[in-house]
This record gives sequence, C-alpha cells and structure tokens, in this order.
Amino acid sequence: MQLVLTVNGTTYEVEARPTARLLDVLRDQLGLTGTKEGCAEGECGACTVIVDGRAVNSCVMLAVQARGKEILTVEGLARDGELDVLQRKFVEYGAVQCGFCTPGMLMSAKALLMRDPTPSEQDIRIALAGNLCRCTGYTAIVAAVKAASGQESTPQMALPGVPGELAAAAVTDPATLAVACETVESEAGRPLGAPCTPVDGGPTPAGEGSTTSGARSVSEGGE
Amino acid sequence: MTDDLRYVGGSYPVHDVTEKVTGELVYGSDFSVPGMLHAKLVLSPIPHGYVTHIDASRAEALPGVVKVFSHENAPMDGFSRARIHPGQDMSFYDETLFSRHVRFVGDRVAAVVATSRETAAAAAALVEVEYEELPAMLTVDAALAPDAVPIHEDGNLLFEHEIDKGRRPDLEGAVLVSSATSTPRIHHAALEPHVCIAQGHSTGGMTVWTTSQGVYAARTVIAELLRLDYHRVRVIKLPMGGSFGGKTEYIIEPVCAFLALATRRPVKLLLDREECMIATMVRPATSTSIRTACTPDGELLDFEAVSTLDSGGFAASTPDYSIHMCKKVTKLYRVPHYRHAGRAVYTNTPVGGAARGWGAPEMAAATEIHMDRMAARLRLDPVELRLKNMVEPHDIDLVTDLPLGDARVSECLRRGALAFDWAARRARPAGRGRLRRGVGVAAGAHKNGMYGAFPEASRMSLKMNEDGTFQLNASLHDVGCGVVTTMKVIVAEVLGVSPDLIAAGEADTATTPFDYGTYGSRVTYVVGECARRVAEKVKGRLLAAAADLLREPAEHLVAADGAVRVRGATERAIAYRDIARLSEMRHVPSIAASMTYYAVSNPASYSVQFAEVEVDCATGLVAVTDFLAVADVGRAINRGMVEAQYQGAVQMGIGYALYEHLDVDEHGRAGVDGFKNYHIVNAPDMPDVKVLLVEHEGDDGPFGAKSVGEVATVPTAAAVVNAVNHALATELSDLPLTPERIIAALRGEEVPPCSSC
Repeated sequence: MQLVLTVNGTTYEVEARPTARLLDVLRDQLGLTGTKEGCAEGECGACTVIVDGRAVNSCVMLAVQARGKEILTVEGLARDGELDVLQRKFVEYGAVQCGFCTPGMLMSAKALLMRDPTPSEQDIRIALAGNLCRCTGYTAIVAAVKAASGQESTPQMALPGVPGELAAAAVTDPATLAVACETVESEAGRPLGAPCTPVDGGPTPAGEGSTTSGARSVSEGGE
Repeated sequence: MTDDLRYVGGSYPVHDVTEKVTGELVYGSDFSVPGMLHAKLVLSPIPHGYVTHIDASRAEALPGVVKVFSHENAPMDGFSRARIHPGQDMSFYDETLFSRHVRFVGDRVAAVVATSRETAAAAAALVEVEYEELPAMLTVDAALAPDAVPIHEDGNLLFEHEIDKGRRPDLEGAVLVSSATSTPRIHHAALEPHVCIAQGHSTGGMTVWTTSQGVYAARTVIAELLRLDYHRVRVIKLPMGGSFGGKTEYIIEPVCAFLALATRRPVKLLLDREECMIATMVRPATSTSIRTACTPDGELLDFEAVSTLDSGGFAASTPDYSIHMCKKVTKLYRVPHYRHAGRAVYTNTPVGGAARGWGAPEMAAATEIHMDRMAARLRLDPVELRLKNMVEPHDIDLVTDLPLGDARVSECLRRGALAFDWAARRARPAGRGRLRRGVGVAAGAHKNGMYGAFPEASRMSLKMNEDGTFQLNASLHDVGCGVVTTMKVIVAEVLGVSPDLIAAGEADTATTPFDYGTYGSRVTYVVGECARRVAEKVKGRLLAAAADLLREPAEHLVAADGAVRVRGATERAIAYRDIARLSEMRHVPSIAASMTYYAVSNPASYSVQFAEVEVDCATGLVAVTDFLAVADVGRAINRGMVEAQYQGAVQMGIGYALYEHLDVDEHGRAGVDGFKNYHIVNAPDMPDVKVLLVEHEGDDGPFGAKSVGEVATVPTAAAVVNAVNHALATELSDLPLTPERIIAALRGEEVPPCSSC
C-alpha cells in the first residue's frame, strides 16, 4: 500500500502493510527511532507524535490514517541544531532520567503549548496524564513545561559547556610555558616546534625564551 | 562540611540528556545490526504441567521463519539468572532456556526466529504445544500444604533461615503488640521493555548487546551455559529505558545468545509489555508477622518477625532477597533482642527477584505499619515513639555486626517533623464527612554496597588526553539515574576541571574493567570512591609532570581550573593541555592511573518520609495531597538528580501503597496484561514531592556521599498507609490499599490480601 505523508516537514512516499501502525512506519521505514514503543496499546504515551496539531499515540494509529497528514516527531522539534524551548527546559529542569518517556512527554507538551501557550499547572498535568514516567515523579517535567510557557521557577541543572571553549578556558602564561619548553628542549637536544606556541594564538609571549621558541615554531611549522 | 567544593553538590543533567531530548539516542530497542533476525517467545498458558508434544511444522512453514527452538533442540543445562560471578553461593540452577516442566503462566516453552518481528509473532501463534497439566500451587499456603505437588525436585520450600541476635530482656510488664502485613507482587514497569541482541562470529566468539545492570554477570551466565570461553563473549551495555531492578538478572540474555549461535545469525529478542509483566521478573509478594515487646513508655525490648516470600516458579535471587529482609530493622531501631525467621517458597506464579530496595520496602512496610500500631496502643505520637528507639550515629547493626556509620536518621525525623509541621497536622481532626484527611510518617534504611557479604570492589582507569581532557574507563551502567554524570562530577572535583572535559563510557566486557554493575546501592559509595581515588592518583601524576617541567617541587604546585599553578605566584600557570602536550614528548610516565578499590565499610543510608492523604469514603480512592521526603545522603554529588530520583522513588512507593498488584486468578493467569489494567501513578495524581537533604559526609564514600536510589523508595508506601490509617482510624496492613479494601475496611469487612502469602 502506497502512502504519502509529511514528517517533520519532509514529504515521504512509503510502501506500507495495510496493518502497519504509524509507529512502525516512523521507526522501521523512516528510521525515526526517537518515537518509542512502551506498551503497544496507547496507555504509556512513549510513542506520542503530533498529527495535524494533535497529540496522538502512534502505536494505535494505522499508518493509513496518517495519509496526507502533517506529522511532527521528536526529531522535528529542534531547528537547525537549535533545541526547541521545551527541549531546553527539559534539560535545564532535570526532567530527564532514563529518557524513554521523554520524546512522548515532549510531544504531548508541545501539542498543549501549540493550543494554549500559557497553561496552568493543572492543565499541564492533565495534558501529560497519558504519558507515563517511572523515573521522575513528574515534578521536574511539569516545572519544565511551565518554564517553556514562560512560567519560570528556578532551573536546576548546570548546562553542558560549549565544546572547545571549555578546553581553551585555562591559559598558560608565556613565562611558565617558556620554562616548561626549555625543560623539554634541553632533554631533546633540539628546539621544539609547535608545542611551544600557545595554542589559542593568544597574547604574544612576553618572556625571551618563549619568544624564541614561539618564533621557531612558526618558521618550522611548514616542515 | 567541606564548603570549598567546586563541582560536587551542583546539579547536572544525565550525561546523555541532549541525545535523549532530540530522540537521537539509540536505546536497546532501537538497536539493530545488518542481517538481524527477530525472535518471539512462546509462553506457557498453564501454570503447572509438562510439555508432552511440540509441533512446530506449521510455524516453520510460514515464509520468513528460520527455526523454532524448544527443549527438544536446545541445551537443557540449568542456569541461575541471578549469578554474578562463577562459583557464587546462593545460586540456584533451577532454570533452563526452555522448559519442559512448565511452572507458571508465562514460562518459556519455545522461541521462533524469523526475518521480521511480525513474522516471528505470527509463527509463535502457530506453534502447537500439548501439555499434561499438574495441579497448580498458586499460593504459598497451597505450595506448603502436606499434599502439595512439588514444583521443583526438592520440594516447594526453597529456602529458610533464621537470625537470632542479642539477648531478650525480662519482658515482665512489657506491652506486646502484634501485626501482620502483606505486600503485593508488582511489575517493575521500566518504560522500555526488555531487549537483547546477540551475534555469533565465525571466529567462535559472540557479541551480546543488552540493556542490563551488569554486563560481567551476564557474561558469566551466558558463557558457562553455552560453554564458551569468557574472552570470546563480549557483552556491551546499551542505553536503557529504566530498570528498577527488573533488568538486574539474566533472563533473556542467555536465550538470545543461544538463538544467535544456533541460527548463526544476529538475533534480536524484544519483549512486549505483557511478556515483561509475566515472563521476566516481579517484585516478590511477601508477608510478615511481627511481635514486639516494649516498655509502657515505648522503649523496644524485643522484636520478633516471621517473613514469607513468594518466589514464583524459579528461585532467581529470592533466597538472598529473603535473607535481606532480616537485615533492615536493626539498621533503623535499637532493640536488645531481634529474631527473624524467613522463608522463600516456590509457587506456580511469575518469578520474583531483584527489585529496587531488595527487601527493604517490603520490610519497611511491615515494620513501620507495626510501629504506628505500637504508637496507637501506647497513646504516643508516632514521631515520638520512633525517636525513642532510633539508632544514632556510629551504632553497630545488631544483625550484621557492621557499624552503621554516620547514621542520621533521627535528625532526618526531627527536621522533617518540623518542616512538615507534623505536630499540628497530626493533631488536626480527620473529619467526619466523605473526605477524611490524615498524615503518616515512616522511616527506612538501606545499605551502601555489598561490603560484609561480597568482596566488594571497583576497578577503573583514568588518563589525561593529549589536549588536557580526561578519559575515564570504567564499567558504568547508567539505568537512567545519572551514574555517568556522578562519576564525571567526582573526577572533575578532584582534577579541577569542568565535568564536561571528562569522557566516561559505559560497560563493555571487551574494553572496560571488571565491575559488578549498578545494583546493591553500591555505585556512588563504592564505584564513586574508586573514581575519586583514581582521580587523586592521576592528579598526583599531573602534578609530578608539571613539577618536572617547571622545575618546581610538586608540593609547591596546585591543580585547579584546568591549570597547575605555583603556590603564592598564581600568575604562573601552565594549562593542563600544555602539560599533556609537552609531557607526551618526554620519556616520563603517562598522566594516567589504574585503581582497584575495595570497600572498607557499609554504612546505612536513611530516609524519613511524611505523607498527607485525603480519603474519599464514598469511592475508597486515596489522594496523596502532600509529601516530604527527608534524605540522609551524606553528601549530594549531584543535588538536582538526588532530588529528582527521590521524586520518582516516591511515585513508585505511592503506586506500591495504593494501586499496583500483579495477582493471578484461579487458573494461574495474571489479572493484568498491560498498562491498561496495571495502574502507574500519572501526572495528575502525583503530589509535588518536596525533598530535604541532610548532609554530614561522615562515611567513606566520595566526598562523604552515600547511596540514594534504592533507600528513596523504602519508606514511601508505609508513610502513605500510615496516613490512610490515621485518616480512617483503621489498622490496614495489606497492600495495596485499593478502593475495594478501603470500602471494606469502612464497612468492617475483611478482604483477603492480594498476594498469596
């Protein structure tokens, strides 16, 4: 059976069994395994996706029912590598533990915020009533959804640092680098090259030794 | 308290949080390898009997079916699903890959291997199995009756033991109180079903990918059963969607490994929810009778208990579980004499085994419901009665003879009572109308690893990379509670770099050192201390390398914020990456170290919890309206995650108290087959759980940290039940307090316990 459906903005033409569930097509045919299967009977919500603006359990929806519809899955939340505000708040508020319910939680919350940008806590809890979580007790999840709707409490988590920036945070002062390089050079009996140039290309070394080794490393860089 | 900690005590998300919120993390159930086949189990529909005939011809005729396996064409050696190292005591080899003698509805009879999951499932329905039925022993009483039919060769009394410690004082004039409590069989309900993928190699070895809490233990079970040398069996831990003890034992791994070797193809065995519920493992049902004697003003003189545990069809870890039920009370209360007899009994019901708390939630329910009964008899406030009897820091556990360490349970109780406004809320009338309100308290204790019972140790290595970042090599098993992050934070604290500059992977028997895994409340306390120590060693190497480069004595140097500085001349700094780059060019020892750390103690972790409930007398429904959990954690390594784990643990405990039970009917069939009839507490029903941390860092864990994940759920159910009993002036003690039970209690009717014990 041929199906045309739009998932995360891309239109796909798929050949599916008539009994295939939307979940099967997403996971097995489109490789979108972010949508999870926890119960296969529409009770746990791990498979929640958004179909034409409504949160649905993709384990109890036939793929054919999604024909011609717009589907949003967890993979479609982030745009150009930028996390959706809900995803960001789930991270900041510690709403993720094992994470298996997370995609479904995010999609139910997204559908809620699409229809009501400022839900009350009770609205949030009811919107998530069909999404089971065994790890968190829901406290952090509810706080994250509230925060995503602009009702911030105190975010808890230290966010991961930016790769590269962290490693460059500590800087060797030129005089100390010169001493260290001298130790190595005297052992090696030859000048060192690149290791004696500050990696961040930062301030020009001030000490005499390091100026020398720095200059050498530039000249030998091409070897 | 040490206040100069830079990273420990902060709050960090789980290490793979970004991949989890984007959906890109490949969990076990998402994992596949090229050419992979799919397996489907055929389970026994009867609780007890023999397979007399199997006809797989119709199944094997289905296009796409590769083969059907059963006792007729699979090894019939016994294995122990609970064994964690070779030659281990208390391992019961009573289970085979496929049963000929079936012992519960859900017992594995056969497996179909096919090219797709759908084909395997369709074919499984075509496997024709004939049975000769035996009488089913569905309750402990039936299994122990004189005319009982034996479920295993040696009879149905699987294991019994007794602890008798201390001396019974003169009980003249003592107040005697008795109680009987039962706790239900429950489903762990990890959101991701059990899954395993295995692949044989033409070299004779195999690789097994599994969502397990211990890959080395999986290897010992698989290798010995399939008669493979250990070095040819590589077991890799995959990201997993929860466990709660349910993936601690090795149930589907040996089956999947066998299917892969037998078919010479990669095979994936992914269970569905009903299979997870009936064919893996459950928290075992228990019953406990307690008789205490105390002075008229409430001082415990004697504590005697008898516990029975329903093991189900196979032993799994239930004998050990049963022993551990006897090791909980004396961690919590001082008592001159303690006697506890326990037994584990085979029945024709789903197999019991490891579950979060390992006997502690069961025993806390019995003990803490009993303590409230004592308080009522003595007309004492429950908090006051507990304070009279609680252990204090550095007491010795009467049962294990081990020091309890910096046991801060009474402080938890005092501080919690104030924070919860206990006295005023307890004094408030419950009301006489349809809605009645009550508050309850309960305390619980748990351990910190397996010191005292096992050679408890952890092993790991840590190296500095050429750019000054670090790589931790350890057999970590993150079940979702942030184990990897915990280790990164500990290492980061020692080395003075952001946790983001430390890489740590998970367990793989081919590449990471031997470690038991994530269970036994051992990870933070034992594995974490190993991480701290290996980081200290590496820091020593780092300072030595810097000292050598800078021609300064190492004791003049300090390592912090990613650089080594000269004391008193902090403008002189050499970044870790420069130390790494320059040291790489020299004939000097690597900035790396390995460590084996043997645990030196096993203190108790505590939690005291306060619940407020509102009971609807018309419907019997209970709403938990407020909840406070106080945690004796020693020191929170990852504060936000400690609180979050507590919130989840309370959710699990509320389910245990009010909703969850997996009973079997008179045909041995479970009354549940999915979440539609097995209620997990959902968001609208959860109160906002407050968590109060008590931190004293008095023990041997990293920075004083103690275990959290298991103890957090230990007293929850008891606190909720005690609150209901307060609201209704009842003495309910059979869990869960379903609406039927509550209505029956209000009408003065007796309702038999759910579980068979």
